[in-house]
Amino acid sequence: MSDQIIEQAMLRPAPEKGKSLGPLFWTCVGWLALNVLAAIFANVLPLHDPLFGDFNAINAGPSMHHLFGTDDLGRDIFSRVVYGSRISIAVGVGSIVIGFAVGAPLGMLAAYRRGRFDSILTNFMYILLAFPAIVAVIAVLSFWTPRSMFKIIVVIGLASIPIVYRVIRTATLAVASKDYVVAAKVQGATDRRIMMKELLPNIAPIGISFVLIGIATVVTLEGALAFLGLSVNPPTPSWGNMINEARTVLGQNNGLVFFPSLFLCLFLLCLNFIGDRLRSHYDVTEVKL
Amino acid sequence: MVGIVFVISIGSFYLLHLLPGDPASVILGLGNTPAARAALYHQLGLDKPFVEQYFIWIWHIISGQWGNSFISQTSLASTIRAALPIDLELIGLSQILSFAIAIPLAMRSARKPDGVLDRILGAGSFTMLSIPPFIIIVLLVLLVSIKWGIPNTGVATYVSWTTNWVANLESLVLPSITLAIGSFVIYYRVLRSDMIATLQEEFITMARSKGISQRRIMWRHAFRPSSVALLGTAGVNIGGLLAGGFVVEYLLQIPGLGYTLIAAINTSDYLLVQDIVLVVSVGVVAINFLFDFAVNMIDPRISRE
Amino acid sequence: MSADQLLVVEDLSTTFATPRGPLPAVGNVSFTLDKNETLGIVGESGSGKTVLARTIMGLQPRMNVTVTGSALLNGRQMVGASEEEKRSVWGTEVAMVFQDPMTSLNPVMRIGKQIDETLRVRLGMDNRAARDRAIELLEMVGIPSPAHRYRAFPGQLSGGMRQRVVIATALACSPQLLMADEPTTGLDVTIQAQILNLLDDLKERLHMSVVLITHDLGVVATRTSRIVVMYAGRIVEIGSTRDVFHHHRMPYTRALLESSPKVTSPSHTRLTTIPGRPPNLMELPAGCSFAPRCAHATARCASERPELVAADNPGHAYACWNPLPVRRHQHLEAS
Repeated sequence: MSDQIIEQAMLRPAPEKGKSLGPLFWTCVGWLALNVLAAIFANVLPLHDPLFGDFNAINAGPSMHHLFGTDDLGRDIFSRVVYGSRISIAVGVGSIVIGFAVGAPLGMLAAYRRGRFDSILTNFMYILLAFPAIVAVIAVLSFWTPRSMFKIIVVIGLASIPIVYRVIRTATLAVASKDYVVAAKVQGATDRRIMMKELLPNIAPIGISFVLIGIATVVTLEGALAFLGLSVNPPTPSWGNMINEARTVLGQNNGLVFFPSLFLCLFLLCLNFIGDRLRSHYDVTEVKL
Repeated sequence: MVGIVFVISIGSFYLLHLLPGDPASVILGLGNTPAARAALYHQLGLDKPFVEQYFIWIWHIISGQWGNSFISQTSLASTIRAALPIDLELIGLSQILSFAIAIPLAMRSARKPDGVLDRILGAGSFTMLSIPPFIIIVLLVLLVSIKWGIPNTGVATYVSWTTNWVANLESLVLPSITLAIGSFVIYYRVLRSDMIATLQEEFITMARSKGISQRRIMWRHAFRPSSVALLGTAGVNIGGLLAGGFVVEYLLQIPGLGYTLIAAINTSDYLLVQDIVLVVSVGVVAINFLFDFAVNMIDPRISRE
Repeated sequence: MSADQLLVVEDLSTTFATPRGPLPAVGNVSFTLDKNETLGIVGESGSGKTVLARTIMGLQPRMNVTVTGSALLNGRQMVGASEEEKRSVWGTEVAMVFQDPMTSLNPVMRIGKQIDETLRVRLGMDNRAARDRAIELLEMVGIPSPAHRYRAFPGQLSGGMRQRVVIATALACSPQLLMADEPTTGLDVTIQAQILNLLDDLKERLHMSVVLITHDLGVVATRTSRIVVMYAGRIVEIGSTRDVFHHHRMPYTRALLESSPKVTSPSHTRLTTIPGRPPNLMELPAGCSFAPRCAHATARCASERPELVAADNPGHAYACWNPLPVRRHQHLEAS
């Protein structure tokens, strides 16, 4: 052991692969799972009808009958939050799936193959990237009526392809030049084998981390779009929609602002936390901070 | 860079022509007969081939004849010229704010990683990351209207600088803070982690061995290499603000480019949308170039690669 | 402590507290250094020589480190000194040349600025005077066109030149003691000799003492007056250069000497190596740390750790239960 190594060992604990990710990590996973399950099985859960407005109970506070209270049209906030999570989660996951399904393989392939394929494709993607995607998304969604969740997912998904491409390509480039990949190549492994066995496992941590961040970004984007009136149409609830609606009754019905915001933020927080934890757990070169 | 701008202009032009929606029906309203439509198209030059339309547009842009909007009949150039400085001011204010707070705090935290300050800021910044700007605004507005009793419809009616600079700053406080929070979080985290990495380099030990004070080491030796990452991040972030600051503008009624863009979309004002998209895109590219340039100035290693 | 003694180290020990247990990097090291003397500290990687140098200087990490013993520099105690106290001697009384010139210079700062920094900050020189002195220093270390190079960035210089810059930086305030930690290890062989000669030359001119730390015996053969041989964090032999080379008693010293290739040996001579590997400092064996690899080891060596005992010549000591026999006129040359 050289002296340098001794000093380095002092600054970070030994990165043991079996190290636990921590109880907080699993709590977040659990919370996310809960949200997803609730979204999927919303129909069979004992919830009020999210679209039914009880005009006897407008802007009511939380009670036994309405866990989170009601909104300005008498609809139960709790059930709207649960149903609303469907939109947010579906948009988040759906868009990222599209982005990764196209962007990731292309990125990996381009980084590995290099050559003309890579330079043409990468230049194309970088030009796409220079174009502010958000503006395009807004423009397209405004004019492509009637709006549906499907369309939203497609538009955002397509818009995310260049970003995914870039991240995956950069990550693959970093790995592909490493000696062990070259070694595998020299040993005569086929391209496909190299990609599956050498590249993929090493990109996976970054990829997963980015997936999570991506979902968080898209969920936020859906919220922002809702504020512009560009998310799903009312009366379908989405977290963004609800917060937007709450602006008109600000001060009178704090529950309408508070609960969807809380769920949205918690969702994002868990995603970010999990992504961050995974990253620092698998990146053994990072000094423990 | 010119190439990129060129392609972007094609892209925005093409995009808007792809979109369903018909300017004629908007302009003509009920008088939308085929004959009227044909006449309108001819008048607006929309019956020419696509490529020709594009070049006409580009030519107009370059030669400064931006023309008037179909819808509002006001000069496009003046609309954009009125809106752009507002964005610049907003971005400028928010960035000054976020840098002024992020840099010292990041340096503090890097000096004592895992100290009390570091932990608090770390957890806090992480939480802030998860709160989208629009929620921040809503909450801030709620706070302001409840605590100080300012009715929330009256908050932040924008006043221009030339009219009354005090009111101007007042009206920009809320949006600046909102944007600054988001930027602060990013800058703080990036600078902190970069500084921690830099402080472990051998040349820092060497600098220490020269008997230099810790303070000087932090600012003169460690900050400079770390600022490279910070500048790069700032470039991306500011570009993003230019393109994405519209939510904040829209909510707080600040008539910057984003707000104007949304309004233009809502009124189907295609030309305006097109031009704003172009301006914003060019702006983003320009900012990235600017920051790349700054980074090269600081770190001689990069320009030599 | 006599007036001639610049550095007095007594029973110095440095222990790191790692998550896996205490790591005794340096154990009970004692030696003295006179003014204008060059001392060589020799040992394999992991022998603790760098940690020793840094501990003496006070540059060891602040957290999780325990230092015991004493290190007096010009009468000033470095062990347990506050940051301020240490900073007051760094650069002006003692300076260090680091191993890797690639990483010891700030890559985004011009070298001139790095050299004259101590002059400006510690001695209060104004910019002009500092710059002139820096250019003088550059010339002194043998950098061509020094005035021009003043504005260069480290990346624009070759390894050998960078190391010269590092030396110039260390010498800016004319310290009395220079700690050179493997100053030539990362450099080409041809450059190594140049740098070492430069250090010799500067030492004469500036009346400095030098501690030369290396794993290469060839480096210390002709340039030092005394040598300390370290193994597993402890001193196993110490004495004048002559004694260590020609009258050594500790088998490890012999093994070290034999394992360096010699120009004078016949071609195709097989390189003698020391069997085994350097020990894991966290799991040191009882008794002599070198025993597992030593051809002369006895039962006592494996169970009891030998202390330093004096040899015949004054100033010469070794730590061994079964030392090599005293021999006169041993002719083991280093390359």
